[in-house]
Amino acid sequence: MENQTFYYDNKIVKNFAYATLFWGVVGMVVGLLLALQFIWPALTFGIPYTTFGRIRPIHTNAVIFAFVGNGMFTGIYYSLQRLCKARMFNDLLSKINFWGWQLIIVLAALTFAFGITTGKEYAELEWPIDLLVAVIWLVFGANMIGTIIKRRTQHIYVAIWFYIATFVTITVLHVTNSLAIPVTLFKSYPIYAGVQDALVQWWYGHNAVAFFLTTPFLGLMYYFLPKAANRPIYSYRLSIVHFWALIFLYIWAGPHHLLYSALPNWAQSLGVVFSVMLIAPSWGGMVNGLLTLRGAWDRVREDPVLKFMVVAVTAYGMSTFEGPMMSTKTVNAISHFTDWTVGHAHIGALGWNGFLTFAVLYYLIPRMFQTQLFSRKMANLHFWIGTLGIIFYAVPLYWGAITQASMWKEFTAAGFLKYPNFLETVTQLQPMYATRAIGGALYIVGIVLGIYNLILTIKAGKFMPEEAASAPALASTEAKRGSGEGIHRWLERRPVQFILVALVAILIGGLIEIVPLYLVKTNVPTIASVKPYTPLELQGRDIYVREGCYTCHSQQVRPFRSETERYGEYAKAGEYVYDHPFQWGSKRNGPDLSREGVVNGRQYKPNSWHYNHMLNPQRLNEQSIMPVYKWLITDDLDLSTTAKKIRVMQFLGVPYPAGYDKIANDELMIQARGIADDLKSQGIQVEPGKEIIAMIAYLQRLGKDVHAAGTPTATITGK
Amino acid sequence: MEMNEHKTVEKDELTGDKLLSGHEYDNIRELDNNLPKWWVWLFIITIIFAVVYIFVFDVIKVAPYQQEEWKKEMADAGSLAPGQSALIVNANLAALTDKSSLEAGKDIWLKQCKVCHLEGGQGLVGPNLTDNFSIHGCAYTDVVNTIIVGVPEKGMISWKTQLSDDQILKVASYVMTLKGTTPPNPKAPQGEPCK
Repeated sequence: MENQTFYYDNKIVKNFAYATLFWGVVGMVVGLLLALQFIWPALTFGIPYTTFGRIRPIHTNAVIFAFVGNGMFTGIYYSLQRLCKARMFNDLLSKINFWGWQLIIVLAALTFAFGITTGKEYAELEWPIDLLVAVIWLVFGANMIGTIIKRRTQHIYVAIWFYIATFVTITVLHVTNSLAIPVTLFKSYPIYAGVQDALVQWWYGHNAVAFFLTTPFLGLMYYFLPKAANRPIYSYRLSIVHFWALIFLYIWAGPHHLLYSALPNWAQSLGVVFSVMLIAPSWGGMVNGLLTLRGAWDRVREDPVLKFMVVAVTAYGMSTFEGPMMSTKTVNAISHFTDWTVGHAHIGALGWNGFLTFAVLYYLIPRMFQTQLFSRKMANLHFWIGTLGIIFYAVPLYWGAITQASMWKEFTAAGFLKYPNFLETVTQLQPMYATRAIGGALYIVGIVLGIYNLILTIKAGKFMPEEAASAPALASTEAKRGSGEGIHRWLERRPVQFILVALVAILIGGLIEIVPLYLVKTNVPTIASVKPYTPLELQGRDIYVREGCYTCHSQQVRPFRSETERYGEYAKAGEYVYDHPFQWGSKRNGPDLSREGVVNGRQYKPNSWHYNHMLNPQRLNEQSIMPVYKWLITDDLDLSTTAKKIRVMQFLGVPYPAGYDKIANDELMIQARGIADDLKSQGIQVEPGKEIIAMIAYLQRLGKDVHAAGTPTATITGK
Repeated sequence: MEMNEHKTVEKDELTGDKLLSGHEYDNIRELDNNLPKWWVWLFIITIIFAVVYIFVFDVIKVAPYQQEEWKKEMADAGSLAPGQSALIVNANLAALTDKSSLEAGKDIWLKQCKVCHLEGGQGLVGPNLTDNFSIHGCAYTDVVNTIIVGVPEKGMISWKTQLSDDQILKVASYVMTLKGTTPPNPKAPQGEPCK
């Protein structure tokens, strides 16, 4: 067959590569600022836009979707064209993908800074941006699938299998987890509440790790590692087995984020066992990568690209072993809510994603600019500084996590908590937080060095926007399996069927876990004393969501003696039925708040305490790392949304009486005046229409209903 | 299992492993190696673990769920469960004055009390404890009693679940030493003057 000549689009790859570097620095610098706020809480600057709860989502989203996302597109746009022996399907779609993605990132950063958030981790974007994400993601998918369809190769290579799984699964996850009813352009309530919202969210959250941070990067590894090493892939058979096992099993493992929570026990068990079963499929990727380097290890010593890859793949192997261990209840009882999770996430983000991204950039930029990497030495220095940065980042956090978890759990001989004041367990970690910040700073220094090296490389070279290649057109092939052709080999030349099988594989686990939580009532036993929030509490709760309080405070007391003694009643599924969204949190930089309003409880504080604490936490305790929230005291509560919020809640099934929306603001003001009067009796003058009043009302509601139930497990004595 | 199997088997030069014919993607080749044995076993063992785990926890239910774990943990703690202050507060109870007791009391104060009464006892959320006024009584026994039962509706929680009797006596004794001191920014007097 005659050879056809065509051109690879390098320009789109270059754009994504530059965006990767830019957002990488932005995301990590914000991360460093967060790390420093642990040491100097004054670095929140006392203004809303730079406060921990608002910029933490900027950091996580920037690193995941901006840095790693653009890195993923860089690698996919480069490798897909070459693996398909075809230019991208449509240049316009490529451009829309690129500019649309950058627009989303800018909108994300702005909205988060302004407190526009859904309050669901790694899915904080509000509904208009969610829609934009869906559109741009489908553009990417159409462009990718179009390219695969018009390929000039018979079969699709394993890297492309992973790209397909990425596209299919992220589509399903994003759409399902983002379903919400808008209140305004900038505010919506998720259709799920409480336990169901938690399960959907962590099914999403866990699989965002799986299908945004893992599968696309395994695809990149399968292309760039053998290319850079010039070695054949170790085992095609292993590729098949670990690919299908990975995508089928991964989707089930989400509940491991909710161990010892109010999630039904059977769902927790599934989370445990599917996480443990993930070790081998995950390691399949590591093994296939590392064994591909057989015969090329001498080159690993010299070639920075391979060096970065080896550490990336090793970090992947480490965190995919650590993850399943953390998913066992024994380890999770210690690791959850501590910095262990943060350390774990950063081994993945800095080691696996960060290093593999730089390996890819060091590989493709010199090639597209028809030159050599400007300085190997500098790249090696980047490698060592980065590696050191990861160690300095992670080790103190593991140390700190075990320290803090032990302090949380320690009792005196007389049976009292040894460290009843939560803050003591935070102050203890200060040296670890300082070291962690040094580690993060080192990693950024490495990145800056890498960027400098790449800029010099780019300056020395000449960019080739259109790279000529040639290959014979794809002969039309038999749809049916040929004699002696394996099923999988057949599937590899039938991409549409491949996509459908992958879709089925990832749907099974999600459906089996999520659907019963709706259909089987016993999964969420109701508690009669649990009532909907009052309008003032609802507004206060939305401020709680806006400020990102969940980034530091959990609302989930685990059934441990050390937690029921510290906080009160352990969490019940039935107490969260009106929580749109759930606010269980995943990290305790401060104490759990779900029993804050229980008057006879251990956590109870009067209204005036909350007022003073928001105004100046360090006045109450100079060691506190709580940010200042003084704008809550000066800003007016937006009453224009109350009626609409009540109506949306009614639509979602919250049993406010009919017509309640019309009197909601009256009720709100009555309650607000009560709190303002109480504050006045303590010498604090504040108008009832200020945000602080709503926030206090919400905090004072927390835990009240479930304690009012007086269930036999109540541990609050002295009643 | 290959469609276009060639007669001559191509081998990787460095390892001698068999290359799969027809598997070439942008010059990336694939080897026909089997799954590593240890890897297969690892996978099988985790699957067996999963089956046994679900069987034990969710089918025959012989292993404890978290609610039972908690009950057992509480039962094991037994009499140690706090909140059962045995203090008999009577007029004979006198404040401790020895240095080590007062130092221990101060330690508790700094961890638990100052967050409302501030470090010097000048008061902010809670009342000023340095002046000659009191809402709930001026005597040492009154202080002890307030710490034990609390005034929850005003924000002073009952501390008997978080402090031992010994700790309560020590911190109350420390509170008595605050009276008459002059920390900065004292809160205005509240309650009745002490006699």
